Amino acid sequence: MISRIVLTTGLLLVLIGLWGMLTHRNILRIIIGFSLMGTGTHIVIVAIGYVANGTAPIIDRALSVSEATSRAVDPVPSALAVTAIVIGMAVTAVMLAYAIRLYECRKTLSIDAFTESKW
Amino acid sequence: MVEGLLHPLNIFIVGLGGGFLIPLFYRLGKSWTAAAFIVALAAMTLISGYALFVLLNGAAPTEILTGGAKPPYAINLRMGLAESFFAFSVNLVALFGVAYVARERYGTMLLYLLLVMGIQGMVMTRDLFNLFVFLEIVSIATYGLLGLRDAHAALSATFKFLMATVLASTFFLIGTLLLYATTGILNIDELIAKRASITGPIGFAALIFLLACLLLELKPFPANGWGLDVYETARSDVAAMISGGVSAGVFFALLKLLPLFEDQLELIAALGAMTFVFSNLIGLQQTNAQRLLGYSSIGQMGLLTIAAPLLYRLNADNAMFLVVGGLFINHLFAKVGLFWLAGYVGKERLQDWAVLARRPGAILTFGILIVAISGLPPFPGFWAKWQLVMTLAVGDLYVWIAIVLVGSLLEAAYMFRWFGLALNSPAEADGVSHGQADLFPIFGMALLLVVSGYVAGKLAGLAALWAYMPLAAGLVLYMLARLPSRVQYLIVLVLVTVGGGRLILELSGISFLFAMLLLAGGLVLSIACLARTDRRSGFYPLLAVMLLSLPALPRATTSLEFIFVWELITLSSYFLILQRTEAASHALQYLLFSLAAAFFLLCAFAVLHAQTGSVSLSALRVAGPDSAPVFVLLAIGLLIKAGAIGVHVWLPGAYAESDDDVSALLSAVISKVSIFGLLVGTYVAIRSDVSLNLALVVGWIGMLTTLAGAMLAARQDDLKRMLAYSSMSQLGYIVAAIALMSHLGWVTALYLAANHLLVKGILFLVAAAIILRTGKRSIVELGGLAGVMPVTFTAAAIAIVAMSGLPPLAGFGGKWLLLSAMMEKGWYGPALMTLLATFVGFIYMARFIQAIFLGPRKAAHDALAEAPISLLIPQTLLIAGIFLMSFFPKLLITPLSNAIDPQFASTLVWQGMSLEMIYGYWNPVPVMALAVIASTILFGLFWLLQRSGWWSAIANAEIGGTRSSLYKGLTTVFTVLTPPWAGALWGGLTEATTSSAERIRILYTGNGQTYNLYILYYFIALYAAAGGVRHLWAGVD
Repeated sequence: MISRIVLTTGLLLVLIGLWGMLTHRNILRIIIGFSLMGTGTHIVIVAIGYVANGTAPIIDRALSVSEATSRAVDPVPSALAVTAIVIGMAVTAVMLAYAIRLYECRKTLSIDAFTESKW
Repeated sequence: MVEGLLHPLNIFIVGLGGGFLIPLFYRLGKSWTAAAFIVALAAMTLISGYALFVLLNGAAPTEILTGGAKPPYAINLRMGLAESFFAFSVNLVALFGVAYVARERYGTMLLYLLLVMGIQGMVMTRDLFNLFVFLEIVSIATYGLLGLRDAHAALSATFKFLMATVLASTFFLIGTLLLYATTGILNIDELIAKRASITGPIGFAALIFLLACLLLELKPFPANGWGLDVYETARSDVAAMISGGVSAGVFFALLKLLPLFEDQLELIAALGAMTFVFSNLIGLQQTNAQRLLGYSSIGQMGLLTIAAPLLYRLNADNAMFLVVGGLFINHLFAKVGLFWLAGYVGKERLQDWAVLARRPGAILTFGILIVAISGLPPFPGFWAKWQLVMTLAVGDLYVWIAIVLVGSLLEAAYMFRWFGLALNSPAEADGVSHGQADLFPIFGMALLLVVSGYVAGKLAGLAALWAYMPLAAGLVLYMLARLPSRVQYLIVLVLVTVGGGRLILELSGISFLFAMLLLAGGLVLSIACLARTDRRSGFYPLLAVMLLSLPALPRATTSLEFIFVWELITLSSYFLILQRTEAASHALQYLLFSLAAAFFLLCAFAVLHAQTGSVSLSALRVAGPDSAPVFVLLAIGLLIKAGAIGVHVWLPGAYAESDDDVSALLSAVISKVSIFGLLVGTYVAIRSDVSLNLALVVGWIGMLTTLAGAMLAARQDDLKRMLAYSSMSQLGYIVAAIALMSHLGWVTALYLAANHLLVKGILFLVAAAIILRTGKRSIVELGGLAGVMPVTFTAAAIAIVAMSGLPPLAGFGGKWLLLSAMMEKGWYGPALMTLLATFVGFIYMARFIQAIFLGPRKAAHDALAEAPISLLIPQTLLIAGIFLMSFFPKLLITPLSNAIDPQFASTLVWQGMSLEMIYGYWNPVPVMALAVIASTILFGLFWLLQRSGWWSAIANAEIGGTRSSLYKGLTTVFTVLTPPWAGALWGGLTEATTSSAERIRILYTGNGQTYNLYILYYFIALYAAAGGVRHLWAGVD
């Protein structure tokens, strides 16, 4: 149940991000759209790996080897999520850096002002 | 120890370690940084090169395990043959690219190193999520490198690129997750093994997300505006790495995941086809060099996306390596070279590339790159396309062949137009901004193309070294380009005589005769080149290539050799026409029609290969009754090349506007190449069921060409255009003679071909002499030259008589034979047309002599001298040939007849007539005697008419006019009878093509947000086209 709610939230966030990215003209807002999409994806990753009533995938007193396959939360998606977050942060940083440079040359952040090359 | 150092894992250690160390070295000093950077790249190249070497020698692929666990519990990478091939090629290119990067700040070097490492990661990894990570490493490094340019347009383009690729990689991440959710697997091998378990709406969506990302990263039409903008505005070496390197990584990822997309293979190919055709279509309208290269890059990726899934579906593993590998390195080396060249030239507009015109080395390299990217020999793309077409034909995928060839033709059109512009534009004062050192990496690419082309040729099955002889001769001449032009010509003469002699020695039959004819004709006519002593940059190497390719064509025994040599002739003659820069547009037309012709031949050979399983030309003779398509395709291709009516539009321009000595070679010698092809191709028709009807069609086309050519010639005032149309007309006779498909018809065809070679050679040299002495080409401005140029006049008169079919010279024999053959076959219509065309021929030939040599001499012509000896020698030799053929026809006809006999032995329709009886048709002594008497009487009558003044009353209604009204009346009739439909048709087609390109490219609005929307639409369309709607319903249930 929990994972279903989280999954739905994540997917909704992805869609909201996509919507924002396509409807807002301001470059910063577009970047926020991308961030939302990224965050949504990360939430989806975590939701996929979640096991109801599961526990941390550390084999100790709380989790015996025999229970590991049924009760432990899948550790792989968490590892993926961490990597994806790092990459997402780097990409957002690059985008923001370009936003600054774009603003410097046109003094505007409207995406419509940057259509120099076409056809 | 060495093994350990050269382990593929070290690529990543060097790449990442180098990345971390470079900032440290930067503290030590600038040269340290550059040295460390170069060492790191060299090490990666060495490691991947060593891996390739070992794998080629049969070693097993290296599995790289990580994390101390076996896959699927840990990430693994693999260095197999394909991986090492891709990695090594990319590394090699990156190493050459150091020349542009090593002078930059250390951050640039660091990003470059990471980029190269990331690409190899994408190639080698076998883990889906790891693939995503490497994709992101590559992307982020690219974003950084793109920031090197500060121009506004470059920044905007980068931002568009950023948004699009982030969107695409989000798709990849979602796809990976969904796949993990359905299967619990991230290992690619495991996923492929358990492909059947990827089902249901989620599994399906996962695959489509992955596919969408990979396709989008390859910049598919129409969701690729962001890619084009980056190609246009990025620094050229960065654009080069995106086009060659990044695309290579993404494409390899697609290749590796293809087994997952088994249900979508045709869809992938169709999307590739769309990209290939539309990119190249819009490429026609480009004026910016780098944007043009962008369209071409995207198109090439489209081509790879067509080839890989189709070959995978056909299980053509053997062809896969040559096709995909060949197309890939061809694109990599050529496109990277072109981008670098764009950086070297530093001019955005295509017409400003004329700054290259005065740099022979740069122009040669440019030419090599353009030829290679157009998929022409001897470069890897040619062999790959050949193999692709052959394999597709075996799989019955003819529509795909058509798509590949149409796209290739479009690409060749804009690429060669660009090359023409680089030679053609008026010289500009400001030169190239960069130093010579920047050219070396580009030379490196050209060299790599040559080497890899040779290897690919071997793989494709061209083992014969003789096929490379023309190119080798060209290379020798290129090295000696500093010698005086006459010395260069002598070397050409020696090389061609020796090489050509070696080529023909092993031939026999028709092949021998044709090779002999082409070689001797080419050599004799080439003497005329001595008339010019100015520096003709590149002329002699090209001449050597062409003169040696001519006798090499009959030597071909497989269809591959045939097409290879055929394209060499096409290319060398194209570049020869281009020697006269004013002829650029005509040269392009010539090239495009020739390429189209070659593509038809290629298709014919592909069908033949599919039917008989053989690439040997002898398969033509054993082809079954269903081989009619082969004949049709061959005939179309060869008729285009022969300039038959309707497709003759390329002919007058190419023949008339090229240099005078080149015109002679084109019209007299090169035109015979298609005749040879027709003779070879006709073997098929004899066997196939519909042959007779088809042959009749070809015969009619031949005669219509003759008649139309003659009428067009009669209307011409331009000396060389008149001769060009006359060529068209005469070739029509030969085509008709071949179409007779009887023994007598073929003897006639060869006889007429030899006659035309001699005659048209003389006449074009006469034209060369007249233009040389008077500087005029218009017939109406000439007149009375017989007095000042008596030898030239005599030569022209003899040639005209020999061509017109008047006795006693060879043309009469030719016509006699042709009429006999037609009557024998019952072709009364064509026979009638022969007579009609002969009559029209008289008119323009009489005008040629009358208007140029007779009549009142123009005052300015008094001081003229006879033509130079270098033009008179070849004419004299050709006249000797005419006399030999005229008075000792058996010398030619006996070997001709013998050459044909064995090939017809089993199938000949020709019954019961011995050779002696053929000579009965053409026994010169009695026939000639009669003819001479008849013509003497006719001339006598004419003389009497003229003396009595009646003639001028008939012919010259307007007294004192220079043109007779009879001629005027006739030209009016001819004008009505030859409406410019062909010109209108082809002009209309060109117009329609360019205007549709113009309309389609409005898609690219330049707005990054719109491009994001396109990407979303592309994904939705892909989802729907792959059958996703079905899954949506299932989800509702």
